[in-house]
Amino acid sequence: MILVPGHKEKGFISNHKPPENKVNQGPDLWAKVAGRALYGIDLQFPGMLCGKILRSPHPHARIKRIDTAGAAALPGVRAILTASDIKQKRYGIVVQDELPLAADRVRYIGDEVAVVAAVDEEKALRALEAIKVEYETLPAVFEPGAALARGAVQIHDHIPGNIAWQRELERGNPDRAFREADLVVENTFSIPSIHPTYLEPIACLALSDYLGNLTVHTALQAPDMVREIMAYVLDLPFSKVRIVGPIMGGGFGGRVYGNLKLYLLSSLLAQRTGLPVKMQLSREEEFSIGRPMIAAELKIKMALRRDGTFLARESEIITDNGAYSAQAPWVTKTLSERNDSVYRIPNIRTRACLAYTNKVPTAQYRAYGNQAANFACESLIDQAAAKLGLDPLAIRLKNCTQAGDTTVHGLKIKSCALKDCLKEAAAMIGWSNRNQNYGYGISAAIHASGSLVANKDFRGASARAVLELDGRVTIFSGEQDYGQGTYGVFTSIAAEVLGLEPGLISLNSRDSLVAPYSQGALANRQTTIGGRAVQLAAVDLKQMIERAASEMAGKPIKMERGCLKSADGSIIELRAVACYHHNRTSGLNLTGVGSYVPPLAEYDETGYGNISVTYSFAAHAAEVEVDRETGAYNIKRIVSVHDSGQIINPLSAGGQVYGGVTQGVGLSCYEGYLFDKGRVVNKTLADYRIPTALDVPDITYHFVETTDPEGPLGAKGLGEVVQVPVPGALANAVADAAGARVTALPITAEKVYRAITKGECRS
Amino acid sequence: MSYIIASTLEQAINNLKTSDGRAQVIAGATDLFLEEFPLELVDISSVPEILGISRSKGFLSIGAGVTHAETAASSVICSEAEALSEASLQVGSPQVRNMGTLGGNVISAAPAADAAVALVALVAKASLIDLDGSSREVFIEDLYTDYNRSSVDSKFEILLRFLIKPAQKGEGSAFLRFAPRAALALPLVNAAARVRLANDIIQEVRVVVAPSKPAPTRLLETEKLLHGAKPDLLTWQKIEYTASSEVEVRGSMLRCSEEYRRHLVGVLARRVLQRALVRARKVT
Repeated sequence: MILVPGHKEKGFISNHKPPENKVNQGPDLWAKVAGRALYGIDLQFPGMLCGKILRSPHPHARIKRIDTAGAAALPGVRAILTASDIKQKRYGIVVQDELPLAADRVRYIGDEVAVVAAVDEEKALRALEAIKVEYETLPAVFEPGAALARGAVQIHDHIPGNIAWQRELERGNPDRAFREADLVVENTFSIPSIHPTYLEPIACLALSDYLGNLTVHTALQAPDMVREIMAYVLDLPFSKVRIVGPIMGGGFGGRVYGNLKLYLLSSLLAQRTGLPVKMQLSREEEFSIGRPMIAAELKIKMALRRDGTFLARESEIITDNGAYSAQAPWVTKTLSERNDSVYRIPNIRTRACLAYTNKVPTAQYRAYGNQAANFACESLIDQAAAKLGLDPLAIRLKNCTQAGDTTVHGLKIKSCALKDCLKEAAAMIGWSNRNQNYGYGISAAIHASGSLVANKDFRGASARAVLELDGRVTIFSGEQDYGQGTYGVFTSIAAEVLGLEPGLISLNSRDSLVAPYSQGALANRQTTIGGRAVQLAAVDLKQMIERAASEMAGKPIKMERGCLKSADGSIIELRAVACYHHNRTSGLNLTGVGSYVPPLAEYDETGYGNISVTYSFAAHAAEVEVDRETGAYNIKRIVSVHDSGQIINPLSAGGQVYGGVTQGVGLSCYEGYLFDKGRVVNKTLADYRIPTALDVPDITYHFVETTDPEGPLGAKGLGEVVQVPVPGALANAVADAAGARVTALPITAEKVYRAITKGECRS
Repeated sequence: MSYIIASTLEQAINNLKTSDGRAQVIAGATDLFLEEFPLELVDISSVPEILGISRSKGFLSIGAGVTHAETAASSVICSEAEALSEASLQVGSPQVRNMGTLGGNVISAAPAADAAVALVALVAKASLIDLDGSSREVFIEDLYTDYNRSSVDSKFEILLRFLIKPAQKGEGSAFLRFAPRAALALPLVNAAARVRLANDIIQEVRVVVAPSKPAPTRLLETEKLLHGAKPDLLTWQKIEYTASSEVEVRGSMLRCSEEYRRHLVGVLARRVLQRALVRARKVT
C-alpha cells in the first residue's frame, strides 16, 4: 500500500496497542545480555589485513614530502596509500571539504596522511613509524572568534573567511518588540564539544571481490546515505556498494554517517590488496579524531511583558566546526532555531555562524544541538522570571506552545501536551511544596519527530512484509535498530495490523542487499516514518493474504485476529495460504509493500514552514542539593515527562528515558572536550568523564499519551527529545540552590563555587 | 614472557633472585597495563606473609596483599582505623577494589592514592624484606622518591605488611575525598586526619592531604595550631585558612585550578578534622 499526501485512508488505522508483555524486543536483547552479540570489533575474516592510519601531528601544516619506501619494505606490509596513490574526490555531507587522504595540507592534529594494510596490527603500526613525512608548519587558528576575524589564516582555500555556514533570520518585528518590552534580559552561554561516547569504538571490515563489488561490514544508523557517498567517492556504481551491519554498540547520532574516512580508507585498501581489511578506532582516536558535536557560544536576549508574556528573542550564535564539516551546518541550524518553538515567541532574530578552526572535525550528536539551546534559553527564562517575580513554572505554562499552533518558524503543531507535561513534571517533583534546602529547576523541549528537511524529494520510507512459507512474517526495512527499540516497535505495528503474535514477526534491516533504501535512524524518523511504512506494508500483506486465501478456498475469506475464516466458520492456516501462493507462482512469496510519503515539507527560502511529520514534547524537572562551601552538588531527582504520542514499546521507551537523561546528566555535569593548542587533552574515558552508575540520579518518567494524527498508531518519536530538557532543568536547579548561575557547560563544582563567590576562591 | 605465581615468600624471593632484576612483583596488577608491560612477573598475591589482618604487639598488622575490598569490609579496620576504612571504600571502582591491594596503593606512589593518604594520617609503618632476607620498617611517607616513584624497587624488595596503632580511647580518624564524579576519578583533593584527645585537649594530631608533593602531605602548620587546643574553642576559619595557605598544590586543565584546589584543601582539612574529633569524643 502506498500512502502519498492526499490519499484517503480507509479506516485501517486503529489505535490499539499490543499489551506490553507481547512486545517482541528482538533477538539482540538476549544476545547482548548473554554476551553472544557480535559487534564490529568482533568481526574476523580469513586472510584479513589490519589497516592503520598515519595522522598529522600538526594542527596546520603543508605536506612537503612523504616517503613510504622504508615502510613498504617491512615484512607483512601489504599496501601503503598516500594521496598520490589514489584518485581523490572531494566530498562532504553539506560542504564539500574533505578528501580521503590529505593531499598537500593537514588541518588538524589527526588529519589522515597515509594508510597502511599489514598482516597484523603490530606490523601495521611498525609501518606507520617507518613512513617519513616532511611538514612545513603553518599558523593555526583554534578559536571561532579568531577564525572569523579579518586576516585570519584560511583553513580551506575554496571557503573564504573560514565560514562553513551562516544564517541570518528574522521573524516578526523584533526591534519593535524589544522597544516595547517591559523587561529585557540577556546572557551568554557556552557548551563545549561533546562526543556521543558509544561504548563500541567504530570498526569496519571491507571486502572487494573480483567483480568489483564492495562490501563493508559496519554498524550504521544510515547505511544507505553512507553507500551514496562511498559510491561517489570511490567511483563505483551504487548497486555495487553493500553495507552489512553487525550489532551496533551504541550510536547516539554519532553513527548516522559514522566515520566515513574509515570506511573509505578500508575500502581503498581492500580494493588495492584484494583481501578483507579491518580497521577500528582506538578509544583515543575516537576522542581525538572521532566526530564530536560542535561547541557553541550563544548570546541570547529576551523581551518580555511585565506579566511574563514572551515578546521576542534575539540570538547570536557562533559554533566551532573544527577542520571539516560533515553535518555541523545542520546541527547549527537546529541549535539556532528549534528551541524558538517551545514557547509562543512571535518575534525572532537569529544570527548563526559556523566557523572552521584547526581542531577535531565535528559531526552529529543526538538531538542536533537542541540541548545546547535548551541550556541557554531555559536558563534565561529563569533569569527573566526572577526579575519579574514570577514562578518559573507559571511563566512556562503561560507561554508554552499548544496543539493547533503554528509556531514562529511555521511548525504546525498537530498534537501537543506540553502544558500537561509541565504540570505533571511539577507535580512529580513536588513543585508546590519545595524543600527549602534544595534547588529546583524545570525546563521544556520540542523536537522534530520525522524531520523532512534532509531530502525534500525523498522524505518517507518504504517496507516489505513477506509471508514466509512457515506462516511467519518477515519485515524488510532499511531503518536501523541499534538498541533504541525499532525492532520491537516495527514488529508490534505489523503484529497489530495482521493480528499475529509479535513473536511470529521478525525484522530484517541490516543488509543493504535486501533491505529497502532508507534515510536511516536519524531525526526521530524511525517510529513516525519507518513505522508508518511497516504499517502500510502489513495492511497490504493482509489484503493479499485474504485475496489468496479466498481464491484458494473458492469463497470469501477474512483475516481476523490472525485467523483466516470464511463466513461458514471454516478456518485456513496461514501456512497453507503461503504455500498455495508459492506453488501457484512457482516461488513467489506473498509480499506486501508499504510506501509512506509524508506531506511535503513546505518551507520558504528562510526556512519558514512545517519541516517535520510531527513534533514531540517534553518537560523535565530536577531537584539538587548544593554544598555552598565547595560548589559540589548532588542531583537528587530528575523527573521526565514526555508527549511522544502513543507509546508502542513501553519497555524500550522507559529505557530511552533512563539512557537519554543519563546522557543529559553527562553533558550537563561532566563532559566536554578540552583543547591545548588544537590537541585534545582529555582523550581517554578516565579524562573525558561520562557518568558512572553512581552518578546517575533517581529518574522517574511519565508519558502523557496524545494520539498523533500522522504517526503510526498515534505514536511520535522519543529518542532525541529525551535528552534535550536535562541541561536546562539542571542548570536552573543548581542556580536555584546556589543563588548564582553557571553559564558554561559542564556545570562543575568549581564553576558553581566561583558563581557563588563571584569568582573568588578565598572567603 | 614469564608469569610465576609464588605460593610462599621463599619461592617469591628465589624467583626474584634468579631473574636477576628482570622480574617484577605484582599483587593486584590493576596498574600493570598503564605502562610498558614487564616481561617477567612474580605474582605474590597468594603468599601468606602478605595476607590477612591481625594484631601483633599492640599493632594492627595489615598484609600488603590485602585488597581494598577486604579492608573496607573489615570490622576491625572500621572501628580502629576509621580513616583507612573510609579511604578503602572509595578507591576506584568495585572491580579495582576487588583486585587492588593496599601495598600496591603505596608502592605505585600515585600522588593522591586514597589508602596511602589514610595510612600516613594513621602513622603507619611499612615492613619490607629484601632478597637477602633482611627486613626494615619505614614510615609510609618516607617511601616516596618522586611523583609515581617509590623507593621500593619491587625487583629486589617485597613489601610485607603495614603496622598501625589501633584507635584507643580518645582517638579518632577520618578520611574525605573530593572528586569530579562519584567513582573512577582521581580526587581533586583527598584528606585524612587522626586526633588523640585527653581531658578534651588535643594531644596528638595529624592532618594529611593530597595531591601535593609526591608523598601524602602533612599540614604541619595546621597541626601546630591544633596541638594542645580545646576543640570547642578552635577557630575553624583560621584552621581552614592555614591549611590552604601552607599547602603546595598545582592546577590542571583536566582537574581544576590551583586556586580552587587550595580552597578545597582548607574545606576538606577542616571537615576531616571535625569528623575525626567527633569520633575521638565518642570513645571518651
